[in-house]
Amino acid sequence: MNEPLTVQTPSTIGQEAVDAAPRTLWLDRRAFLVGGGLVAAGLLARPLARSLFGGGAAVFIARHQRYDGALEQTIRAGLLATGLDPAELRDRKVLLKPNLVEPTRLAPHMTTHPAMILAAAEVFRGWGATVVVGEAPGHVRDTEMALAESGLGEALDSANLDFADLNYEETAWVANRGRASKLAGFHLPRSIVEADLVVSMPKLKTHHWVGLTVSMKNLYGILPGVKYGWPKNVLHHAGIPQTVFDINASLPKRVAIVDGIVAMEGDGPIMGSPKPLGLVVIGTNPTAVDATCARIMGLDPARVGYLQLANYRLGPISDRAIVQRGERWQETASPFTILNRPHLQELRLDSGGILTS
Amino acid sequence: MRWVEAILDELSEATSWGYRPGAPPATEPAAMGALALAGHGRHEAAQRACRWLVSLQADDGALGISAAEAAPHWPTGLAVLAWKTIGGAAEYETAIAKALAWLLAVRGETSPRSDEVGHDTTAIGWPWVEGTHAWVEPTAFNLLALKATGHAAHPRARWGAGLLVDRLLTSGGCNYGNTVVLGQALRAHVEPTGLALAALAGEGDPTGKIARSIEYLDKTLDRSTTAASLAYGLMGLAAHGRVSIAAGEWLASAAERTRRRGASPHRLALLALAALGTDCPILLGTNR
Repeated sequence: MNEPLTVQTPSTIGQEAVDAAPRTLWLDRRAFLVGGGLVAAGLLARPLARSLFGGGAAVFIARHQRYDGALEQTIRAGLLATGLDPAELRDRKVLLKPNLVEPTRLAPHMTTHPAMILAAAEVFRGWGATVVVGEAPGHVRDTEMALAESGLGEALDSANLDFADLNYEETAWVANRGRASKLAGFHLPRSIVEADLVVSMPKLKTHHWVGLTVSMKNLYGILPGVKYGWPKNVLHHAGIPQTVFDINASLPKRVAIVDGIVAMEGDGPIMGSPKPLGLVVIGTNPTAVDATCARIMGLDPARVGYLQLANYRLGPISDRAIVQRGERWQETASPFTILNRPHLQELRLDSGGILTS
Repeated sequence: MRWVEAILDELSEATSWGYRPGAPPATEPAAMGALALAGHGRHEAAQRACRWLVSLQADDGALGISAAEAAPHWPTGLAVLAWKTIGGAAEYETAIAKALAWLLAVRGETSPRSDEVGHDTTAIGWPWVEGTHAWVEPTAFNLLALKATGHAAHPRARWGAGLLVDRLLTSGGCNYGNTVVLGQALRAHVEPTGLALAALAGEGDPTGKIARSIEYLDKTLDRSTTAASLAYGLMGLAAHGRVSIAAGEWLASAAERTRRRGASPHRLALLALAALGTDCPILLGTNR
């Protein structure tokens, strides 16, 4: 599977400083693995992405969920209900991507609960996949500390699960397929390139710049700090909504499993307050998942910048276009408190704007 | 200390200059390895790492993050520290001069002050990636490099020190470099606090934030602190003359845990460096 891919010249200072990519790339994953070369990772997964998902944009919501409950059963049901074909996962590599942006024992509601990750791992292992957990914590360089503070390190040891420290892995350059930002492409860690499926496993949280962070924004955390910094300031300078969209557009092989059992409201994504909801939200179309989560939180997805960009291009955000499985979002909705700032208050479903759903 | 000797033996091999065992050598782990080796008197092995770092240097003086990835260039100051520590060879003096020229030409992007964030967005320091804002850790790396090479009085060093003090939290400690966002004070973390304090050794601070940061580390470090955080935390305390009597045991414990969890050469090098206490070469040139 070799075809030349011409890369456009990077157009921002930050991108130039990050880039050291040759101008022509050859699409051969094995060449990357063996020779340390570069590859356009997302393109390789397209056939799998087509065969994995049954089509449509179904979103599954389960309520009354607990971290000590039957999460494995819930996650399996959710993935099946939203079109994932387990037969396609046998002998495939699945990477689970939690949110460990800045873990601290003082705020366990900031990070994806380890029980969610272990349950998802068992589901994919049960379908014959090889599972690795990977994350590039966005605010801390000491990944061992992130694993300890989040409780994930101990959990992974107990389940004999491998962890990939995405902040420090070798990278491969992929073209930016979204082109909403000026970034010409992204440097993806080896484990992301090798994965046949990336499972975004965010914590459901408010975000004080863009409104909410769920499965799409969580994928900021696949980009390595050694290339993008701590924080990943290259992305901020290129525009948060634009780069959230671009990263997702450049990675076609994604599903979402959202930890909304104890969510975060107020001053998320770091300093917010716990919001017990008991929800797990699952889907094979992360755009539809995030739009549904926005409604649950009392936010209008049509006013959220990166969802506006994703609408029709990566998936639907209109309620009418999203097939609901499990619970109806209207019955689980519980408006989140958000900071009293104009750029956030204008996102609210009840702020007087015209609802698009 | 037997655990240190074992680390130094491993760091003597080029295969141990990566972030993970078996990973390709990278600039930061190689520089830290060279510093640890030199600090413990393993000069021959340190020379190998230093020469490898020279081989990575671009014509403009900058070093990328590895041989395969020529950008970004934030580890350049670390190479300066390693070369200055090993000293003696003309090739290093040339490399240092080129690296300093690059380092002095780079600065983080500034912006007008805003009530959205608490820190001084006009302050000049160093970014992780050129074209972006300045943050604590790259500024601390480069301030240490300037001090080690006798440029502590250079305006860039003074501005860098000012930026670091500004980024310390009022309550002590710092994180990656935000203090207050949208009215909310953020949390401190050990690793950036230790590194910032190392770079701020000998600096005056009428705000008292340096003293409160020392208190934060004093209270926070213990046997369970993870390897990189512990190493930088102890370096930061050592820079201000604080050496815990328990430090040796904590470091040995962290080394054992690090070996159980994949034996990152980078983390092991940091632990060996921290074991040097006030003689840690990271602190070369700081006015302790």
